[in-house]
Amino acid sequence: MPLRLGRRFLLAAVSSLTLGAAPAWARGDAPLVAAASDLQFAVEDIAAAFEAKTGMRVRLATGSTGNFARQIREGAPFEIFMAADEQFIADLYADGFTRDAGDMYAIGRLVIMVPHGADLAPDAELDHLAEMLAAGQITHFAIANPDHAPYGMRAREALQARGLWEALQPALVQGENVSQAAAFALSGNAEGGIVAWSLALAPQLAGRGDYALIDAELHSPLRQRMALLKNAGPVAEAFYAYLMAPTAREIMARYGFALPEE
Amino acid sequence: MALEVSAQASAPIPLDVAFRVAPGALLALVGHSGSGKTTLLRMIAGLWTPGQAHVAVDGRTWLDTGAQVNLPPHRRRVGLVFQNYALFPHMSAAQNVMAAMDQPDPVEAGRILDLVNLQGLGARHPAQLSGGQQQRVALARALARRPQALLLDEPFSAVDRATREKLYAEIIALRAHLNMPVVLVTHDVNEAQLLADRMVVIEGGRVLSQGTVAEVMGDATALRAMGIRELAAMLPAKVAEHLPDGLTRLDAPSGPLFLPHVGGPPGTRVRVRIMAHEVIVARTRPEALSAQNILAGTVAQIVPGQGPAVMVHVAVGGHEIIARITRRAADQLALRPGDPVHAIVKSMSVARDHVTPAGSDIGV
Amino acid sequence: MDWTALELSLRLAGWTVAILLPVSILFGRFLAFRQFRGKAVVEALVMLPLVLPPTVLGFYLLVTFGRNSPIGQLWQDLFGSQLVFSFTGLVIASVIFNLPFAIQPAQRGFQAIPAELREAASCCGMSPLRALWKVELPLAWPGVVTAMVLTFAHTLGEFGIVLMVGGSIPGETRTIAISIYDRVQAFDTDSAAIMSAVLVAISVSTIAVTFALSARIGKRLS
Repeated sequence: MPLRLGRRFLLAAVSSLTLGAAPAWARGDAPLVAAASDLQFAVEDIAAAFEAKTGMRVRLATGSTGNFARQIREGAPFEIFMAADEQFIADLYADGFTRDAGDMYAIGRLVIMVPHGADLAPDAELDHLAEMLAAGQITHFAIANPDHAPYGMRAREALQARGLWEALQPALVQGENVSQAAAFALSGNAEGGIVAWSLALAPQLAGRGDYALIDAELHSPLRQRMALLKNAGPVAEAFYAYLMAPTAREIMARYGFALPEE
Repeated sequence: MALEVSAQASAPIPLDVAFRVAPGALLALVGHSGSGKTTLLRMIAGLWTPGQAHVAVDGRTWLDTGAQVNLPPHRRRVGLVFQNYALFPHMSAAQNVMAAMDQPDPVEAGRILDLVNLQGLGARHPAQLSGGQQQRVALARALARRPQALLLDEPFSAVDRATREKLYAEIIALRAHLNMPVVLVTHDVNEAQLLADRMVVIEGGRVLSQGTVAEVMGDATALRAMGIRELAAMLPAKVAEHLPDGLTRLDAPSGPLFLPHVGGPPGTRVRVRIMAHEVIVARTRPEALSAQNILAGTVAQIVPGQGPAVMVHVAVGGHEIIARITRRAADQLALRPGDPVHAIVKSMSVARDHVTPAGSDIGV
Repeated sequence: MDWTALELSLRLAGWTVAILLPVSILFGRFLAFRQFRGKAVVEALVMLPLVLPPTVLGFYLLVTFGRNSPIGQLWQDLFGSQLVFSFTGLVIASVIFNLPFAIQPAQRGFQAIPAELREAASCCGMSPLRALWKVELPLAWPGVVTAMVLTFAHTLGEFGIVLMVGGSIPGETRTIAISIYDRVQAFDTDSAAIMSAVLVAISVSTIAVTFALSARIGKRLS
């Protein structure tokens, strides 16, 4: 009988209130780590290793660096911020959101990535891209949003350096972050895209497409910096230290990150 | 415990009415649609308030615009039977009845349902009841309120004729149990004449005529407003003897009445409705005439009607019979008030359902 | 399958329904039975979240409750944490953007009650509160339940506002809809597929219940 169903539904709905109680951070839950999207897979591996070793857990959120910076300014309860561009950390430090100036943890690289069997051939100087563009054969090309994603900003720089930026405008597809850009690039609806090397190296993407490292001279370097935020607790501190330790560095290297000699 | 009502208003409809109903009496508010009768009833119930009004029952004031007293319906002890019953569709008949009680009492609900001839139907929902049954539930619910005034808003207009006749009989029988003032709104003069002790005829919010049924029926203006075609007189009579040829002899004012078999043992008191257009007037007592009913009386008044007709009111033994004859005939007979005449009624012209049990003659 | 996210979504929907149930009944009844100047404006305001793009709503909520707003700062002083990026903030946003779903079907449910029945209730001696409980609510109930079912389902599926006001904080504001988005971006299509299937199943049953209830609204009153 629908009406009895209705009453039962309401009971179920209201009883779901009892699931969980106090807010996550008040419960003394695992600290939140905001990580730039290029770290998507690398930081997952590091967190797993951290938990295996220490038994402590962290909660990961990935997204564009610029978006996280905005959220942190609005009071988002992160305890560690791993940015893809040190400028964001510097700005947050200047405005008093971080404990200190933080540490450089990696240097990132751009790749041009295409789906398997694509017409576009990836190469370091983007020559073939230029050719196909001139021939009008590029319909969709993905990069991260250059307004707030560092990898998107560098992609723009590289394209501008090669004089392809204007010509590429009508075909440009922007991902919210570099991970989404990679998804677009491999979707089969685009000829390809410019994304993070760390993503191209991930097992989840390997075999989906081909890529080539883009000449680092074509863009300003991706100096990736991280910092502990004002409300960081002991677990966050432990994880932060772990990130600078050999095991984590090894994992980062696997994902193509050049480690800073600081 | 009388009900006193007075109201004056100019909008949304003009009203200028005042009347009083004694406990146990039934007053009929008669008028065409738009005459204001339903509005008046709603006012007594508390569903509407005009500019100036006064409603009091048993000395208790329900509405007094002058004194800023205006009790909402739920604070008035009023029983209202709606034209379309307004039964709560999600409740059974018994639950509907109990909804009006201060303390819901299933036994009492059953008793009231028995009273209105709905034995055993308490568990049914309104959708499972016929129109006539729904009407009875509405009545039962109104009675369950133990109202100080019972209001009926054209309660019989939504049922068919046969059901209506039955309901009339039941209402008349129920009168014995009703010791509060009852107001019945209807557009049907017949209904009013059958059921009511007193009548108020309303047109355009104004009272055309009010008084006992007999008084109003003798009022020319009222007659015209109500439609003269339906005019009749109510004659009280008592069953004297059931005859072997299928007729019943009744004792009526100033003479016997012979009618087709009337129900009830000798001694039963009834009211006989005699349609005005079925009455013949004669100066002398006719002989060798087929009509069996010849009542001696005096001309009380002659009221001009519409067209070629006049209404001759004939006083018979303290009551009145009305005869609708041509003006030509009246002139030929040179009828004048005070003249002795005979009123002649064919036995076969009195319809069976025009003989009804006499209710108690209360508060007339 | 992100169980935390599902639990979060159900809890958010549950709280929204709990808060909006009395609002639905009282305000839906109010709009159904009362005429007053400016009623059309009030009804349009209630409708507003229905037609506004979720991002517009999210933007205004951020402006109103965000860190730099008076309300946000008051909250910070009182509780030491932010309203945005918190489950509480999501509940507030959810209550606001579900207003049309919660109020309109309830309003229609009450409107369908013939005025005569309410008059009869009054003449039966029922005070307005008693009449609400014994006559109006049983008759309007299908409308009210429809409102709550729609609210529940709509909250489960809400994405844009949740993302803008809540971010995607695991265990706090990462609802199942957000989690699906997150998994797709992480190239974890398996998880996304499972969670999507679960949401579809819940939504379909919601639609079924709503249809069955709508049929009852008419039947109840005949």
